[in-house]
Amino acid sequence: MRNGGENRGRLLLVILIVSSLLFVTLDLRGVSVISGIRSATHTALSPFQRGGNIIVTPIKNFINDVTHLGRTRNQIENLKVQNQKLRERLILRKNQDGEISQLKSILDLAGTARFKIVSAKVISQGSSLAFTRTITIDAGSGNGIKKNMTVISASGLVGVVKEVFSNSAIVMLSTDPAFKVGVRIAGTQQIGILVGTGSNLANLQLLDNQTTIKVGDILLARGSIYGRPFVAGVPVGRVISVSNAAGAVTQSATVQYFTNFGALGVVSVVVKAPSADPRDSLVPAKPVPTPIPTVTIFVTPSPSPTATRN
Amino acid sequence: MLIKWLSITSAIFLAIFIIQESLVNQLTLPAGGFSIFIILTLLWAALSTPEVGAATGFGAGILLDLSPSTSGPIGHWTLILLLMGYAISFFSYGDENMRGNPLTLVLMVTVGNFITLIAYVGTGFLFGLSTVSFSQTLVTILGSSIWTLVVSPLMLPAVVWLHDLAFDARMRI
Repeated sequence: MRNGGENRGRLLLVILIVSSLLFVTLDLRGVSVISGIRSATHTALSPFQRGGNIIVTPIKNFINDVTHLGRTRNQIENLKVQNQKLRERLILRKNQDGEISQLKSILDLAGTARFKIVSAKVISQGSSLAFTRTITIDAGSGNGIKKNMTVISASGLVGVVKEVFSNSAIVMLSTDPAFKVGVRIAGTQQIGILVGTGSNLANLQLLDNQTTIKVGDILLARGSIYGRPFVAGVPVGRVISVSNAAGAVTQSATVQYFTNFGALGVVSVVVKAPSADPRDSLVPAKPVPTPIPTVTIFVTPSPSPTATRN
Repeated sequence: MLIKWLSITSAIFLAIFIIQESLVNQLTLPAGGFSIFIILTLLWAALSTPEVGAATGFGAGILLDLSPSTSGPIGHWTLILLLMGYAISFFSYGDENMRGNPLTLVLMVTVGNFITLIAYVGTGFLFGLSTVSFSQTLVTILGSSIWTLVVSPLMLPAVVWLHDLAFDARMRI
């Protein structure tokens, strides 16, 4: 009897293992039913994610404010108790102001390049436990978004649309290790390939070893045919260090992305690229150094000498 | 009886899955954060027989594979959680010293979570999925294990209560 039970258990285990391997095989072979189920789940989860975002955003903003205030934390805590209702309104207002500001900057960027864009709110960030870098936006195929469209922020490239659903889409961030984009250096027009590393830094590999690259060079997306997956001219990042390894076939460099991926509230999907390449028109302005004030002290000697003790 | 067990278990797992996807994932906690869904699955398996542990892991894995934040093929999490569910219940089933001690259960779930993530990354590598750098992966796995060590004792009483509710049998924890 016990043997019978153990056999049934083993049989169940084998059946379940075979089933899961079958799922993997079917998915890797691109069976549409499997991807359809995932798409349906995503559509069903979208309202919950939106609701969760509404709940979590004020909490995240509040925690962020409190942790950044550091030493005055106790004082802030007291003020928080006294002004709780006002603070909640303020946080909501700050969130809206931030989103409006981001949206305005994106529109400025898109207007300069004559991109046709669809703006969307970031409703969810991919789990770190998935070991990828993705975000979910609240616009999908119903808004004209298609797979492999470029996603931009006010500062530049954010990523590429990876999956599209009826009212949402998943964007692969340019920080994802699987992300690769062809870039050119503003001004010199040298070309290379930029690869994500999982952090805010990326690796640049130049295609020609005769060319030179220097710290501070600005990289722009080279663009693809018909503007997908990349529209030309989108600012990508700035070179922060150059590797000059002896014997290396090509030059490589470390690049810092312009986009702050930790503060993505609103992004825009480029649904139509302009017929003309915007060239270097989107290169961000160099930061103006803040002058350091010099302090001059004038000392006037007193008319009467001070007595000194011998 | 089976229908009751299935419906209660499915409802519990679905609710925790929605909470994980809509709330916990959006908190962007340091060092990878934690997954209450994986903790629930491993705790549930640790309290069950090996067959139920495997079936629970299988069902939970399918749900996790359907998650929008999952990048691997469907069946990837299913395979990992099925094997982990079976293994964790195999080691704990029939051993009252293990099942009767909350500390042992918490440690078992923490180690289970650690092995689950390593297995996920390892098999993902075999499936050709690209991941972040080795150091970042290590930080995420270790960080998640520490989070699990903190969160699982908080979840344990509720999971035991829900498990009892589903199985109509009181556990002595």
